[in-house]
Amino acid sequence: MDSGRRARGTLEQEVVAALAAAREPMTPAQVRDQLGRDLAYTTVMTVLARLSDKGLVTRERVGRAYAYRAVRDEAEVTARQMQRLLDAGDDRAAVLSRFVGVLSDDDEQLLTELLRRAEEG
Amino acid sequence: MTTATIIAAVLTAVFAVIGPGLARRLPPAAATRLLVPASLVVAASGVWVLIAVAFTWVAQFQVVSRYGDWSAEQVRAGTPFPTVIAVACCLLAVLALGRATVAGTRRVRVLLAVRQSCRHVGEPGSLVVLDNDRPDAFATPGARGRIVVTTGLLRALTADERRALLAHEASHLRHRHAWWLLAAELAVAANPMLSSTVRAIGHAVERWADEDAARAVTDRRLVARTLARTALLIRAAAPSQALPATGGDVPGRVRALLEPAPRPRVVPLAVLAALLVATTLAAGTVQRRGDELLDQAGTYSPPAATVRH
Repeated sequence: MDSGRRARGTLEQEVVAALAAAREPMTPAQVRDQLGRDLAYTTVMTVLARLSDKGLVTRERVGRAYAYRAVRDEAEVTARQMQRLLDAGDDRAAVLSRFVGVLSDDDEQLLTELLRRAEEG
Repeated sequence: MTTATIIAAVLTAVFAVIGPGLARRLPPAAATRLLVPASLVVAASGVWVLIAVAFTWVAQFQVVSRYGDWSAEQVRAGTPFPTVIAVACCLLAVLALGRATVAGTRRVRVLLAVRQSCRHVGEPGSLVVLDNDRPDAFATPGARGRIVVTTGLLRALTADERRALLAHEASHLRHRHAWWLLAAELAVAANPMLSSTVRAIGHAVERWADEDAARAVTDRRLVARTLARTALLIRAAAPSQALPATGGDVPGRVRALLEPAPRPRVVPLAVLAALLVATTLAAGTVQRRGDELLDQAGTYSPPAATVRH
């Protein structure tokens, strides 16, 4: 049950990420195609409805369908607080789990080479 | 007592030297779960030994011996440690405990401050999107932390890559990695010899999240690619940024993902277990010898001795 809830949470995050990355609002069909996973249309609809209930996305009519967009600046002040965490050169930044660390010049070269290997597939 | 003390010191040094190697040879989740407590045990044993040795000096003061059942002169005569050594141990013990306390309270305060500042942002565990062109991503500490990603990074990644990124950060939250790192921080504060082991633990924590992500998206190469691309994007956007050290050694993480998933191995486990048992035993022996020293210096006379006329 817990893993089911986790999977749902993950899917919600993916949908929010996809909508936030898009510059235009997206229809459920577009969201599903974008995610590129084997998802049922109804699953995507359910997720969008739940996100809409939570106030994380808004929808607007585009032709005959609804298109969704991620809500921005919902809490401008708190968003700025998070932003400051990013800029903080203080010890607050040291407790954040950053996705990637700093690269040295050598790292950069090495990484470019490794990326080529990773992309060769 | 001298022998046991030397053995304890040597074992601590051995752990400090082979700790990073053990971290590399174990699967990352196991490495974290074992080496963090191991580092704490080694650090605590070290402090224990320092206190035991220091007490052979402290016990020589009348103020102290008056409360114990020993004679200060006899302790002075019986102790195997020169005063200078015992005094040094006393200072080191105070330093170790002081440093651990300072580092601990400071870390906890920072963790709470960060938690406070994201209390009103999204739900616990949710994704928070920052409207910022600069690519970046991080998770705030704790199981109820937030995953924060900028629009700059979300736009630069494909849907699959975003999935890998989210799975990595979700692993940090789910396994409360910030608390493991706090514990490791305490160990190194108490014993600076452990610094390279603790750095290796930091790397293992990132690898742990990488392996979780690889399992979630069932594609190691995808995670490797996401990591490499993100790191290069961030560097291209801000080449000389002074970022904190978390998430370090990206090339090492990418290389590990291009290889098969690590398997549990018995040898490093056995070495670690043996080392821990030996360290604890040595520390315990030092303390017992210290107790014996005080017993022998005892002013308390056993009944058998009092019947002699």
